[in-house]
Amino acid sequence: MSETHATLVELAQKLYAGDAPGVLALCKRALGEGLAAREVLDAGLLAGMEVVGRDFKAGELFLPEIIVAARAMHAGIEELRPLLAEAASGAAAPRTAVLGTVKGDLHDIGKKLVGIMLEGAGFRVLDLGHDVAPERFVEAVRVERPQLVGLSALLSTTMPMMRTTIAELERAGLAAGTTILVGGAPVTAAWAKEIGAHGFAPDAVSAVERARELLAARGA
Amino acid sequence: MIRAARSRHASLLSADELAALHAAGLRILERVGLELSLAPARLDALCDLGLRREGSRLRFPSALVEEACARAPRGYRLCGQEPALDLDLGGERCYLGLDGSATEILDLDSGAPRPSTRADLAAALRIADGLPQIALTWPCVSAGDAPPAQQPLHELEALLTLSRKHAQAMTVVAPEHARAAVAMAALVAGGREALRARPILSSFQCSTSPLAYEGSALEAALVFAEAGVPCGFWSMTIGGGTAPVTVAGNAALVHAEVLAGITILQLLCPGAPTFYGTSATMMELRRGGVCCGGPEDLWLASAGAELAHRAHVPAAIGTFASGAKASGWQAGVENALSGAASLLAGAELWPGAGLLASARIFSLEQLLLDAELFDYLRAFAEGPGVDEERLALEAIEAVGPRGHFLGEAHTLRHMRSVWQPRLLDRTPWDDWLAAGRPEAADRARDEVRRLLAAPAPDPPRFAAELHALVEEEARRLQP
Repeated sequence: MSETHATLVELAQKLYAGDAPGVLALCKRALGEGLAAREVLDAGLLAGMEVVGRDFKAGELFLPEIIVAARAMHAGIEELRPLLAEAASGAAAPRTAVLGTVKGDLHDIGKKLVGIMLEGAGFRVLDLGHDVAPERFVEAVRVERPQLVGLSALLSTTMPMMRTTIAELERAGLAAGTTILVGGAPVTAAWAKEIGAHGFAPDAVSAVERARELLAARGA
Repeated sequence: MIRAARSRHASLLSADELAALHAAGLRILERVGLELSLAPARLDALCDLGLRREGSRLRFPSALVEEACARAPRGYRLCGQEPALDLDLGGERCYLGLDGSATEILDLDSGAPRPSTRADLAAALRIADGLPQIALTWPCVSAGDAPPAQQPLHELEALLTLSRKHAQAMTVVAPEHARAAVAMAALVAGGREALRARPILSSFQCSTSPLAYEGSALEAALVFAEAGVPCGFWSMTIGGGTAPVTVAGNAALVHAEVLAGITILQLLCPGAPTFYGTSATMMELRRGGVCCGGPEDLWLASAGAELAHRAHVPAAIGTFASGAKASGWQAGVENALSGAASLLAGAELWPGAGLLASARIFSLEQLLLDAELFDYLRAFAEGPGVDEERLALEAIEAVGPRGHFLGEAHTLRHMRSVWQPRLLDRTPWDDWLAAGRPEAADRARDEVRRLLAAPAPDPPRFAAELHALVEEEARRLQP
């Protein structure tokens, strides 16, 4: 196997450091040097992200470092996306995630983190914001046909709104066609199961892992 | 009967550090301001009173903040349903309250967390009412079996009927709920004027960090203030997430948020009793949860109380509520140090007792353990008492070398003031082995069972009338 191109090694390092402008510049340089977009993605960005994930799991990296790495990843992916789509005729079309904090709940920092992490994982993220009524989720899912729907709630009093939202998606015939992930401080796996969500994640990093697992299991 | 701790104020922050934190808070208010989702008319009214508006962003001139905060009373009483249960927030006393509001409770039998119900809140309040260390009540667990829109009212009904101690309606955060809460408290107090004269209820509203308040929360505060019900403002920042990761930046942000609430209240209701609340903590940097315990939290608690007193209002400082999942070593260490920090900073109100897992889960055992810890700190805060009688020179002379003090009159006079634990273990080793090596939490569980086995007290005379009012208000809230 050939040695990784020096530019890609540097790209992976910039990604690890969460240097978004550096990642962008190196993606451009790598393409200018004649490397294929797929190679830049695999041997540069994804290779860097793999080390990020490894060190995060080992407890060496802190969450803010993961966030900036995910932002840098997103910047790189956006640069490569048109070329990837050309090369693979749609195979690299991004998966879409619709996120929102349910109606009556105004907390959205955790959900924003999930959005950043999903973007870093290559998702196109449509964040509906906070205090999102069930009908707005239904409308967004109808229009966007996302692979993933993420519902967030921080209050015990708004958790039942997750159930209502999922019930509305089911009634509109949209729940089966997507994967619904729930999260937020008071939310538990047992609650997720009870209200008919497909999955639960306790934090932003595991949300992405859980989303990937669930989508892989469905072949989505 | 209430046991308060003497405030042993010993500032850990230097005067320069405090001045810098205060100045930073004012600077944030003046330069950055807060986003307040209030109705346009209300925003206009605040601008007429001196705030500067740009869209929904309001900036607070420093002089106006200082002037408005000076209108708030430094000390006042939070009343119980009888005068013996009153709390004096003048700065000489520290009071422990229940914490809140957990959505789960550790099941007494299985030890596993489960969603909490009205029955759980009732059990907790029955125990809290009997603990002299608990001075005020909060809905420490959610009435999760009540419809969400009605939960705050069912919780307040439980506080008012199951204990005669002062009730703080921490879950009442919307004006329609606040109006119902005032009506409920007035019914119990014997009318609106009686409530104003002896506020058996208080409340607080939380900022949405960083730098925002929901309009409904501010409107709820005004409903309370107009009824003479003390209303504090509370910031629950998470360093690294909703606040700077540094203690100084976090404390400055808290200061700005709380002073913003107090300023608005004092501009619209001059002289309304209020307080400065914070339970600032740190984000857990590896997974993004909250720490609730750690050396940074001790500084955040100290800074919060010191800055509250600098603003001449009482301090309510999140105390205890360890991040530990069980009532073991971690909870003991974190809560002991947290209590020491609140004691040394002279925080008047300490919410509080009973929570585990970063304030997510309530435990009846932990409630008893926290009450005991508070009592330990209370005894410590009493001080050694260095006076002629307690120097015991006569007794020392009488006993002389190689004697003993067991039968001395001096010993008999003073031994009953030696602090006695109820849950800490001081039994002989063999007794401990024979009892099956119980931990403090095991003894607490036995005590909880004993307390809950006692017959429930008769409901107060107003119980039926109050319940009818709750039903009526609940129908109005969710037709």
